[in-house]
Amino acid sequence: MENRAGIEIAKNAQDIINQMAVIIRNAQIHNPTNIAVQSSIEKFIATVNPLTDYETLELVLIGEFFYINETRIRFAMEYLLNFDYLIREFKKRELGSLTITGPLTGNDMQIFLKAFLSAAYSEDPFNAISDGIAAISNMTAGPLKSIKEEGEFDVKKHVRKTYFDAVSYTKGVISKIKSGEKVSIKKAKRVVESMVDLILQEEELLVGMTAIKNYDEYTYHHSVNVSILSVALGQRIGLSRKALTELGLVALFHDIGKMEVPPEILNKPTNFDENEWQIIKKHPSWSVRVILNLKGIDNTSMRTAIVAFEHHLHLDMSGYPKLTQPLDLDFYSKIVCLADQYDAMTSARVYSRIPMAPDKALSIMMERAGTQLHPILFKFFINMIGVFPIGTLVLLDTKELGLVYQGNTTFQDRPRVLIIMDSTGTRIKGHTVDLTEKDAAGRYIRTIIKTMDPNKYRINLAEYLL
Amino acid sequence: MDALDDIRQAKEIIQALLKAKKTIRMYPENNPIYIKTLDDTFSKFDDFFDLRDEFSLKIRQYEILFDSEQIYHNPEKEDNLALFFFKDGLRELKFKKGLTKEELEEFLKIMVVDFDREFVDDDIVTLLWEKDFQNIKYSADEAFLTDDADYEAEALRQIGEDAPKPDELLKAYSDAFIAEDISDISIVNLTDRDLNMLVKEIDRDTEDKAGKLTEILFEMLPYTDNKPEYEDICRFIKEIIIYSIKHKDLKTFLSIIRRVSATTKNTAVNNSIKNQLSLMLATVNTEETIRYIGEILDSDTEISDALLNEYIELLDRNAINPFISIMGELKSIRGRKNVITILIQLGSKDIQTLAKGLHDSRWYVVRNIIYILRNIGDKRAVEYLLNTAKHSDIRVRKEAIKALGELKSPIGLQTLRDALNDADDSVRRSAAKALGAIGSETARRLIIEKISQNDFNNRDFEEKKEFYEVLSRWNDAGMIDFLTRKIKKRSLFKRAQRDENNACAAYCLGLMGSKEALPDLYNLRGSKNKLLRDHVDAAIKRIEYGE
Repeated sequence: MENRAGIEIAKNAQDIINQMAVIIRNAQIHNPTNIAVQSSIEKFIATVNPLTDYETLELVLIGEFFYINETRIRFAMEYLLNFDYLIREFKKRELGSLTITGPLTGNDMQIFLKAFLSAAYSEDPFNAISDGIAAISNMTAGPLKSIKEEGEFDVKKHVRKTYFDAVSYTKGVISKIKSGEKVSIKKAKRVVESMVDLILQEEELLVGMTAIKNYDEYTYHHSVNVSILSVALGQRIGLSRKALTELGLVALFHDIGKMEVPPEILNKPTNFDENEWQIIKKHPSWSVRVILNLKGIDNTSMRTAIVAFEHHLHLDMSGYPKLTQPLDLDFYSKIVCLADQYDAMTSARVYSRIPMAPDKALSIMMERAGTQLHPILFKFFINMIGVFPIGTLVLLDTKELGLVYQGNTTFQDRPRVLIIMDSTGTRIKGHTVDLTEKDAAGRYIRTIIKTMDPNKYRINLAEYLL
Repeated sequence: MDALDDIRQAKEIIQALLKAKKTIRMYPENNPIYIKTLDDTFSKFDDFFDLRDEFSLKIRQYEILFDSEQIYHNPEKEDNLALFFFKDGLRELKFKKGLTKEELEEFLKIMVVDFDREFVDDDIVTLLWEKDFQNIKYSADEAFLTDDADYEAEALRQIGEDAPKPDELLKAYSDAFIAEDISDISIVNLTDRDLNMLVKEIDRDTEDKAGKLTEILFEMLPYTDNKPEYEDICRFIKEIIIYSIKHKDLKTFLSIIRRVSATTKNTAVNNSIKNQLSLMLATVNTEETIRYIGEILDSDTEISDALLNEYIELLDRNAINPFISIMGELKSIRGRKNVITILIQLGSKDIQTLAKGLHDSRWYVVRNIIYILRNIGDKRAVEYLLNTAKHSDIRVRKEAIKALGELKSPIGLQTLRDALNDADDSVRRSAAKALGAIGSETARRLIIEKISQNDFNNRDFEEKKEFYEVLSRWNDAGMIDFLTRKIKKRSLFKRAQRDENNACAAYCLGLMGSKEALPDLYNLRGSKNKLLRDHVDAAIKRIEYGE
């Protein structure tokens, strides 16, 4: 009964995609008859052909992920560049799927390569590929499909529920710790697992929830937001599910020591004086005590305590608390530091009710990359948040005003936008548009021409996202 | 397929799972019963999937349903499969066609986790989630995760209240046209080099967290404001110490202790903190800590000599008794060897405490203690060994006698003399050798006395020979004279015994290489006794040719 075929395909899935990327890369640099191209083709055929004895192989691109025979392919970090590359090349050509029904030959792959490469210059790239590979009896192509909006409502509801459950859980935990009650780490893991699942399936929607800034419950929202942003970043760099859960957990508790800061200081509406600042600077150490008292010593609690202590240190040790000896920062600390700075800057705080616009926050962070912030992680982070982060207020060339609703990792300057005012300046209920859409002549229907800070006008992203 | 057949098969699968749960818990993986149970359970699923693609169960508190039919029911709280799943929020389980035996086995292993007794941070849903089975799916109720079911609704209501006014929107719209155009969009490209560096960082990052956290705690220590704070930190450091040794990380354990020790000597550190840390240093020598160390020493963990020596330097005499205690429990040769090394070093500082181990009820422990005392080489150990030389176990007696010989103290002579008459011949021989090792005149006299006694003649030839062999270490004129007189002695009675004794004497003369004895040895060449002839010939050869 064992699904041997399925198992074999699953085992080879990463390699199939990776090898295809290698073939196309090689063919873009070299002549298709070059030995490098030939040997990468041979490797690919050697992997794929035995599998097609059992089953048809269907490689499909949906959103930002590849699926093989309906199973989403997760990749280890070393495959990241090639996966990313292949997604972009598929999208450029509006290619959504390749179906292989039987063994391929070297000649078949040469035909495919020729069709694939030349389609980039065609006005109708998908049909160019489809026509080009018609001569290959065991391969067919399918067009790129938009992610459907139907069913999106249920997904949004689920994302929203997960988000607010996490905030509510965090609030509950802090309240329990303050009153000396026992806290369930099992529950914490479950909360984080739900977020990890959503990051893996609907990253942008959950990351989008972090754009909702609730000043009154800042502490709890901030903890959850940092957790989400950290997990999203971790997912981008290829961390495993288990590692993502651990990262989400440590990020969730990174500021737990702030509950020891007197509320009159934490909620002070003006700048801190020197004494107050010294108290605030103690919260990383307080976090360590809270965490280790909560759970005792095990791998997770140690890591949580380490990150809680380190996340304000900065890469160059210019932060706080001051140390007698420099520390080699934990990898998760570097991630949480990024997420923490971004969320803090873009949140409404007691002392600054108008948060910074996301793009402004990113430009400040860019200046800190290499000193305070890890430069490579920052690259991943900025690619994740996008050139136009979710929540950015944008004017389109159609004179419509909108809010960036969902990013596009392949075409970063073409996110999905929620229209809040139409081209006549009338407020409308709001529908989303995809800026990658083209008209019959092949021109983009809409393009962003200006960006602004929504907080300046008290435009509440939450009202539209929820 | 007939619906009744489905239900019947579903019930069989549940029963198979219950049975498998018990078996998986009781037997190791390579046990035939384990293997057969797994195969049988798998084949139940196999049969089911011949005609259906999915085996879907709904979980309720005391029952499990399949196709809305109850296929399992248990109203008790103990050993209740439904409750086991239900309590952590599991509401549905789906096994899909394509289920592999490996997946089933992993699922069964999750089923046997005793979440009440075993210390696990995970519930069953987390364990299933982490496994990420291809062919086993589940639904869980997340409602119990949050204490406030209305939180979302309230949050949404608040957000709705904060909507922007129409004026603000219009202002935003009009401002948009005069805002600056967007400049070139900077998309940051990642390079292969970036990726390689990141991979290396992640690999490095899996290293020691315990040591890292300890560093952090020591950084925190000087800034503590009050007693509860520094008590907490010291307690955490102590817990990390225990954690390290429980996880067989001797290196981290030692580095923490080193740091603790250095901090106690730091004049800038507050005395109260130093006192706390000093208490921690004392735990190094406690039985609890040493038991954990014993597990490390007994394991496959490689421990370099340098690391072991570093550890030994931390110990004091209080560690002697705990190490003696665990010595008898260690299973591996390497483990015992390490503990012996430790006790040799520690015991040299406190022979008296070490010698208490000679009263241990386990003969092998006693023997090891004797070995250790021998290696220490301190003559003060002799007084403790005297009684041990009379131990009920032969192996212990021999070791004690050997030690008495090596320690060369005259105090042991009487005991060795007594041992020359031990009931066991190997003990007697050891006693002779020990006297030989002492090498004093008294020792010589004792052996000669023995071999001169009548009862000695009745002893086994090989034993007698060994006694004479021992005499050869006194290679002087007196001994030669004694031996040559022996071989010259004639007697009409007990000729066989006499010939044996002469053979031994000849053997001894041969070992001594004494040319003076040659004439007397030549005289014995013609003996009718072959044993004697052979030994005489061998002795002559040895003396003449040094063979």
